Amino acid sequence: MPSQLALPHLLIPYVSSPPQSSLTVLSSVLGATGNWLVLRFLYAALGTSAASNGEPMVRGHEAGRKSRVVLVSFLQGWEFWRLEAKRLGLDLARLTETQQFAFVDGLSELFSSPTAPAQPSPTLYQYPEAGTAPRTTLPIRSQRSPLAPGPAGLRQPIPVSTTSDGSPHKSAREAGPVKRLHLPVDGVAALDLFEREITAVINRLKSSPGGDGNESEVLLVVDQPDLLLAATGPSRCIGATEIGEWIMGLQQAATATVATVSADSPLIHNASVYAHQAATPLETEHAAFAVELAHRADMVMQLRNLETGAARDVSGVLRVSKGGAWGRRESAGVEESWEEKEVLYFVQRDGGVIVFGRGE
Amino acid sequence: MSFRKRNIGLSTGTDRTSISNSPSQPQRTTQAPPPTPGIRPSPDDGRATISTGSPSLDNLMAGHGGLPLGKILLVEENGTTDFAGALLRYYAAEGVVQDQKVHVIGMPEQWGRTLPGLIGPAEAANEMPDRRKSERMKIAWRYERLGEFGAGVAGARVPAASAGDQIPSSTDGSLETQPAFCHAFDLTKRLIHPSIGNITYMPIAPSREPLLVSIQRKLQVVIASSPPNTVHRIVIPSFLNPTVYPPEVSQPENVLPFLHSLRGLMSLPTSRITAMITLPLSLFPRTSGLVRWMEILSDGVIELCPFPHSSDALSTSGAATAHEEPPQGMLKMHRLPVLHERGGGGDHNIGQDWAFTLSRRKFEIKPFSLPPAEGDTEAQDKARSDKMPKMADLEF
Repeated sequence: MPSQLALPHLLIPYVSSPPQSSLTVLSSVLGATGNWLVLRFLYAALGTSAASNGEPMVRGHEAGRKSRVVLVSFLQGWEFWRLEAKRLGLDLARLTETQQFAFVDGLSELFSSPTAPAQPSPTLYQYPEAGTAPRTTLPIRSQRSPLAPGPAGLRQPIPVSTTSDGSPHKSAREAGPVKRLHLPVDGVAALDLFEREITAVINRLKSSPGGDGNESEVLLVVDQPDLLLAATGPSRCIGATEIGEWIMGLQQAATATVATVSADSPLIHNASVYAHQAATPLETEHAAFAVELAHRADMVMQLRNLETGAARDVSGVLRVSKGGAWGRRESAGVEESWEEKEVLYFVQRDGGVIVFGRGE
Repeated sequence: MSFRKRNIGLSTGTDRTSISNSPSQPQRTTQAPPPTPGIRPSPDDGRATISTGSPSLDNLMAGHGGLPLGKILLVEENGTTDFAGALLRYYAAEGVVQDQKVHVIGMPEQWGRTLPGLIGPAEAANEMPDRRKSERMKIAWRYERLGEFGAGVAGARVPAASAGDQIPSSTDGSLETQPAFCHAFDLTKRLIHPSIGNITYMPIAPSREPLLVSIQRKLQVVIASSPPNTVHRIVIPSFLNPTVYPPEVSQPENVLPFLHSLRGLMSLPTSRITAMITLPLSLFPRTSGLVRWMEILSDGVIELCPFPHSSDALSTSGAATAHEEPPQGMLKMHRLPVLHERGGGGDHNIGQDWAFTLSRRKFEIKPFSLPPAEGDTEAQDKARSDKMPKMADLEF
């Protein structure tokens, strides 16, 4: 797979090596989904080390940096990401074995447990169904993050090594070497649980050998965390604020974070005061969350359909703009390598993407 | 391909067999045992697809020629008509005929008795070829469907049948020996088939758990307890309709987890499930956040907009010729399986306007085009005659 096909030149400054502790928000709509762009982020982070054929590719000044990726996906399963990444020439299964990549599955068992209908434990700070087989796909490192992320008051040191029982027995499940999230209880406790689980995965990658002694950098990609918000609703005590804090907690554990959200017009604009109908809680919470994320982000990448109708050789419009937090960090003194831009893109059948300006 | 005799038409019919036999296919096909009737590898990327029961809907599926396994198709309908219900019945009937497992949610057994009767394989019952032959313009037959890839799959049957007089070759034979992928049904008859008893019904019954949670659990149990190679079709007619579902079900915290876990269930690599859901848009408008989330959670979203009766004049004039039945409504594709999860674009069917016609025997979807307004013909003629002299003036 030719690399310029996998990563178009126009995209390189945007997707490669997001700055330290930054948040990139990627918004998509129904007809213009962002999975291809998420894959480009993965490729930019993992592609050099995966296909190191002496090509001085994307990164330039940071060519030697080892980057690792944790992908948390709520809408697509492992199989989808594996197959789509393979089309780009990324072997996610192998990268998982070499501890460069980890997948956290928020799809298959989030609201249901497939084998036995396990009773959610009444105790909050406890791993749910810690004894049953499907949970222990990977051992969790005992190392805690020194950062103590998140709203710290709620949290106590966790009894570690619940599952560190030796070698990772992958392939026990055919679903692949993935960690699955399961929403056992309502409310903030569930989010805390997720945060701990994801942080554990991040730390495992950070400290895994293969780097040059230093902790390697971990890019966290959270795919559609807004599903949690939409599917739980206020009755389960998860609102925009809670999800926003949850993302912030995850951000502290990871080196850089990419989050994707839906930005369809009903989800964003119905909540405005100018809307004609009363907004449902789902809409207000979603709008609050998406707007909050955009304000906290360094860079916002919006995908949308062509305004002029569908076209055969254009998939949609990509607009890259500065987020609310742009320039606020110390690292912003370093000159930014990208500028705001609006381009068209076209996802071809073979998985390659063409990015071009209007009229080109 | 280069060893093929040049004077024999390329038809997807033969390609189809070669695809399923060739060992160098991507894993998708090797995982799925090809000989299962009713399953066909997609001509696009080889993934296993099933038929929706109506050939023209199959052809809209972004070049896959059917609904790929593991995908949810959401059919939305405006107004009080039940065109979507007809599509759903075709879908269920096709599953029954192919001996697949059909799960009907929210409807009693009467629903299954109204499935349309079987006529035969779609190829045989399709009267399209005759009409096509009579109306065909003078283009070489092998070019006439060029550029229409989505239709090319249907083209597998249509040209092979229509060009049957020109090439009495092996293509016809291979079509006959192959089990039919899609059947034709007659809405006025009732389906009688030995495996119709295999439909499982999950009516709405009060239970201790939330309703959709218990349905989800039942589905999981049924699917887990069936033999591993069974193909499942989940049919959810008129989802969230308040005459069927209690009102609290349409709260986002009930609907969305249900759809999400359905999606999770279907995304498992071992499962061979498809689902088709119809949703009444008059009750749940597309401008609401809930419906938008349901659409995001589905893989394919199709909206039916039937013409109101007042615009009968419009619809009759919309028929291209006298033979064709007038379209009964517009069909909008908001999202297509596989295509859109990869990023969308590049499909020939995307930018088109589609109209649908439901007749006794088929649900037909074709490009919609308005003819010139009838009153305007003189104006057009005049414009043309105005222009002509000018053109002549310009020439020297």
